[in-house]
Amino acid sequence: MVSFSSLEFLFRFLPIFLILYFVIPSKYKEAVLLAGSLVFYAVGEPVFILVLILATSLNYFFGMRIWKHGEGFAIHEWQKRKRRNAMISAVLLDVLILAVFKILAVFVDNALLPIGISYYIFKMISFQADMLRGEVWKKPKFVSVALYFTIFPQIVSGPIMRYDEGGFGEERRCSLEQFEDGLKYLVLGLGMKVLLADRLAILWNDLQMIGFQSISTPLAWFGAAGYSLQLYFDFWGYSLMASGLMVMLGFEFIPNFNHPYAAKSISEFYRRWHVTLGSWFRDYVYIPLGGSRCSKFRLAVNLAVVWLLTGIWHGNGLNYLIWGAVLGLFVILEKLVYGKYLKKVPVAGNLYVLLLIPLTWVTFAVTDLKKLGIYFGRLFPMIGGAGIAVNQQDIFRYAENYGIYFIAGIALCIPAVYELFEKHKRNPVVILLLAAVFWASVYLLCSSAGNPFMYLKF
Amino acid sequence: MKFIRKCPFFLLLLSTGLLFSVIGFGGLKNIYATQEYDPVTSPVLSVMFTALNDEIYPWQMFAEKGIMTIADNVAENTGEAGDDGERSPEENSEMPPDGGESESSMAAGDGTEDRQREKAPEEMDGKKEENPSEDVSGNSINHTVKGAIAGAISNSFNEAIDTTIKNSMESGVAANDAEEFPKGRLAPLRESTREEYLNHISADIYGDVGVQRAAAYEFETVDESYFDDALFIGDSRTVGLRDYTDLSEHADFYCETSLTIYKALTQKFKGKGTVEEALLKNTYGKIYIMVGVNELGQGTTENFMEEYTKVVDRIHELAPEAKIFIQGIMRVTGKKHNSDAIFNNNNINARNNAIATLADNEQFFYIDVNEVICDEEGNLNAEYTHDQLHLLGMYNDLWKEFLMTKGVN
Repeated sequence: MVSFSSLEFLFRFLPIFLILYFVIPSKYKEAVLLAGSLVFYAVGEPVFILVLILATSLNYFFGMRIWKHGEGFAIHEWQKRKRRNAMISAVLLDVLILAVFKILAVFVDNALLPIGISYYIFKMISFQADMLRGEVWKKPKFVSVALYFTIFPQIVSGPIMRYDEGGFGEERRCSLEQFEDGLKYLVLGLGMKVLLADRLAILWNDLQMIGFQSISTPLAWFGAAGYSLQLYFDFWGYSLMASGLMVMLGFEFIPNFNHPYAAKSISEFYRRWHVTLGSWFRDYVYIPLGGSRCSKFRLAVNLAVVWLLTGIWHGNGLNYLIWGAVLGLFVILEKLVYGKYLKKVPVAGNLYVLLLIPLTWVTFAVTDLKKLGIYFGRLFPMIGGAGIAVNQQDIFRYAENYGIYFIAGIALCIPAVYELFEKHKRNPVVILLLAAVFWASVYLLCSSAGNPFMYLKF
Repeated sequence: MKFIRKCPFFLLLLSTGLLFSVIGFGGLKNIYATQEYDPVTSPVLSVMFTALNDEIYPWQMFAEKGIMTIADNVAENTGEAGDDGERSPEENSEMPPDGGESESSMAAGDGTEDRQREKAPEEMDGKKEENPSEDVSGNSINHTVKGAIAGAISNSFNEAIDTTIKNSMESGVAANDAEEFPKGRLAPLRESTREEYLNHISADIYGDVGVQRAAAYEFETVDESYFDDALFIGDSRTVGLRDYTDLSEHADFYCETSLTIYKALTQKFKGKGTVEEALLKNTYGKIYIMVGVNELGQGTTENFMEEYTKVVDRIHELAPEAKIFIQGIMRVTGKKHNSDAIFNNNNINARNNAIATLADNEQFFYIDVNEVICDEEGNLNAEYTHDQLHLLGMYNDLWKEFLMTKGVN
């Protein structure tokens, strides 16, 4: 079920849960939501839910210690020390849990990585830091904290909300209008995922099926662009679904993507891409390290640390490290060397981003370093040579088959197009279109439900 | 009114959802009887959508009376031997043991016909245990047939029907009459069992006699010009052969991803038309066909074999001079084989054993590229593929070279 774009979630879990959630009096809503979230998680991770529950309890325990020593008018030095110690213990524990499972996943079996652990551990660390910094104003109840860590729209892939963004422990206002708005985001996200990302995934699958050594250079570039769009709509769509669900439940909309492909530099791209992760690293790693208010050397070191951690966080392969390192390098160069020139020349920044980012995504996508080398060889045949058994005409077939998804995807990359939706989302035409998107997505989900090969026919 | 203003989108989804559910529910017993549907994980409206892929549309619920009548018959089938005029038992007579065909005759619902009815009981014999509640005394053939059909439908024998519905569009001519096998074709050693059918196991009902017989032929080695008058029909595997070898400079390729034997003759290929049209227009000396992987989960070996026979016979009819090369279905890797209940080499080999029996070493030949692309365990060599199913572009040359050793002059 774990995926929102599944029939079980959309037609079984969600309707039943929503009815329960809305008939129950508001003072029990958090408890119902917590129970629902645990059920949701348990279906996907019947065993590792114990890790989640244990981590939740321990974090609540340390959080309460931080709170206890922060009460009163004057806080003594020894209390501050206790608060710091509690926070450091909690964070070390969280990092340890994440590290252990990551290492198990790398060296033993990928299946040992509990679903969503990278996300909920980051929420836990953020919670401890926010407690210490006094950004949590009201003494949190266990239900609220546990709900913050486990809430089902965010447990699998974020967004990494902050505790104080959740309005936990407060009266939750759920209105029909808000429900309607959330539903629209949910459907829009579903459409992006099912109608765009899942279609484009077949293109990437085809390239692997052919073997990178046999794709033409135009197809290699086409594939890199297609993968960039696929990843974007997969993740943006997912984030929209998650935030839409949150809105339906009476929470604030948590933005996670802000038109990254309209960015004019790599650093700007990552302020717009997976926003909640970027701001997490900024607030809990980069700034505590000293941020940019330090020597140039120190700044470069800080950025390098952030980007290596980002690479490690994203996956287990060496390629993710390379991906993080390359991005870090460009971000450092932008800060220290050519960033200011990029800003001066119109369009240069956009072209720079649109050229470079797909190449970094190829590094992200291809986990086998040898194959990664082959792919880059096809992207740059002057270095990589002619390839083997290349069909020079292949691009025409693929452009014909996938052109429609490229056109739709590129259109949605333009901020103005999305703003059009935001502006006219009450328009009957938009509503009808969204309904069509929903049923088209359901059609594709139904077709692939009984037969996983509907996506990948032979 | 207040609701319509406040949440029109939600209401629109809710009402369309309800409508689709009613359609799905209403059709469950008739037009959607063949759709696989798990009420635990899927909404009832999913049958409406999955049926679209089989070209079954909601309005057919009202349009196709035949289907309705069958459903009614089945529904009221409580043991009384009724008078039924709707059946066309001529198709019942070729019913495979799983009863799939009986549904097709129902679906076709094309009239009354009694001439072959006496055949039915023996065909039905294997099915009696499916309806223990039925009194299958045999004094009423109708009764037995009905029971079998009810058993078939109530046991949701659904996969076969989408194939058979499609088949029934074609003429009802029995290409493979169980009693006589033309051109020295071999009879199956046994029938598929119901368990095999339900578990998507393609039964090895022929053994390797056909493969042995076909292998006895001495092929010649040829050069590329041999393929100048060749036609290739196939699925995505053949697409790879077309796109990643130079055979396409010599031969015509009528191939498309997800092609099955059921569509081999009727599929309209982009910018080319159908295979039938190609055969009428051009004269081919060699016709190569490799399909079968996509329909592995569909029907029984008998269903597949019957359709395959029809297709190659039709090709032969349209191109009597052409040598027809029946290519064994390419196997999958050991990893896939061990992890997939449907797309595994047992099923592939069973179906290959069946189609190999069609080879008479005069007009029909059976060749099997697996000889050159498999490892010692008989699985597709993992180095030659990324997705466990298709040859990597560069390894299609192995296939081409193999074909060049299998010439017939």
